[in-house]
Amino acid sequence: MTRRGLLRIGLVVSLATAVFVVLLLRPAAHNPRAPSEPNLPNLSAGPQPAFAVGRPQLLQRATAASRWATVGRPVTALRAPGGRPVTRLAAVTPEGTTNLVDVLGSVWHRGVEWVHVRLPLLPNNTTGWVPRSALGGYHFVTTHLVVSLHRLRATLWKDGRVVFSAPVGVGQPQSPTPRGEFYIRDELTGYASPFYGPVAFGTSARSAVLTEWPDGGFVGIHGTDEPGWIPGRVSHGCIRLRNRDILRLARLLPVGTPLTIT
Amino acid sequence: MRDDQEAATHRGDTTGPDDLVQTLAEIDVDGALRETADAAVRATRRDLLRAIPLAGAVSAGLLTARGAQAAPGLTKNDVAILRFDLALEYLQAGLYTEAERLGAVKPRTLAFSRVVGAHERAHARAIKGFLGSKALPSPSFDYRGVTENDTAFVKTAVAFEDLTAALLKWQAPRLDSRSIVAAVLTLHSVETRHAAWIRHIVGVLPAATAFDQPAPQHEMAALIASTKFVVSGWTTIRRRKPRFTG
Repeated sequence: MTRRGLLRIGLVVSLATAVFVVLLLRPAAHNPRAPSEPNLPNLSAGPQPAFAVGRPQLLQRATAASRWATVGRPVTALRAPGGRPVTRLAAVTPEGTTNLVDVLGSVWHRGVEWVHVRLPLLPNNTTGWVPRSALGGYHFVTTHLVVSLHRLRATLWKDGRVVFSAPVGVGQPQSPTPRGEFYIRDELTGYASPFYGPVAFGTSARSAVLTEWPDGGFVGIHGTDEPGWIPGRVSHGCIRLRNRDILRLARLLPVGTPLTIT
Repeated sequence: MRDDQEAATHRGDTTGPDDLVQTLAEIDVDGALRETADAAVRATRRDLLRAIPLAGAVSAGLLTARGAQAAPGLTKNDVAILRFDLALEYLQAGLYTEAERLGAVKPRTLAFSRVVGAHERAHARAIKGFLGSKALPSPSFDYRGVTENDTAFVKTAVAFEDLTAALLKWQAPRLDSRSIVAAVLTLHSVETRHAAWIRHIVGVLPAATAFDQPAPQHEMAALIASTKFVVSGWTTIRRRKPRFTG
């Protein structure tokens, strides 16, 4: 090979090497095929949420709850929607609290919704119908108080479980505690009467014997100043509990709770 | 008034999806809602603070700015906003829970109520727990037949979910604490999902606009007060000597 030929080969190799080096050192940003580098600001982790929402809990036995409503205005309760009158339902109880009724169901009759309610009326266990418009909003309880006149014991159920049980004093033979389905109407506190103990609950039950009793002879559930008489058939129809038991019950028993006396 | 409302609600059974309202202002529970909304826009905040208590909202805690005391580590502003949110969560949780318990709405709506009710109860528990002693108890509600009629119920649900999302959007930039903003945003996205879900159920467009507008808190308070869903003035507990048979 001549000297001239060697120079040509050297020149070609040098040019090829130079091109290779240039391409190799070329910035990646200028290469459309090269992956682009992110140009993000340096973000901080950010604040943690001040509170977290816990696991949602579906209602258990949604339809098993009992329903009650306040009486929004005085209204005549009827035997059936559009039927004959049963009684006049007051908006206020004899104790001065807002009157309420247990709700058993409802129907539409001639364009008006009628609500089937339990009434605080003699004879006990009377029910009637009132227009929905006479009642306030619905409230729900999952409690149920059962008083056994045979076992002389009160048992409170909540969500299908027993949460309270205690011995009781009930009516004497001449003034018996009425049997049937009732409800808790109100709660009285802050009075000074050892006879009734520290707390008293009003119910929709009424004595069938003491009809001339002040305020209508309603049956209450209350404490006592004679704890030694409990359990027993000692009262005028009311359901008496020892004071420590009525205080415990007061923490568990909401108004509107159905009351079964059996 | 309720008889008229009930009759109107009853007639609403034949209403089709096209007639469904989009906002709470269109529910018009007592015929005064639209007027109240218009008035709310014009009214000063002081006027609203004077007007809303008449609807019983004070006891409900819907008036949050007044009487709110700053909890440790929380500004008065943030407590006020969270109290308002708690009252709204109470209101929604009560609505869905009552609908589920009564079981009077259609099965598809009932399934929505069951899930969303659980969400709203969880929201209320979370906010109440966070506020601690600054939390207000739940007021009493009277949903005026809405939970007993499918058409009326879905109208209300659409309105509440849309507006709750809009309200949280308005509140977020007004919160002082960024960590509370972060927490509220976890609720906001869920409320928008609820809104889309109930809109899908009733056959209206789940995402109607490209941008959502915020809803000011004072307008929301006036609208809620005008529904008269929040009730007060009754009691079942009294300090008085019994006169039972004994």
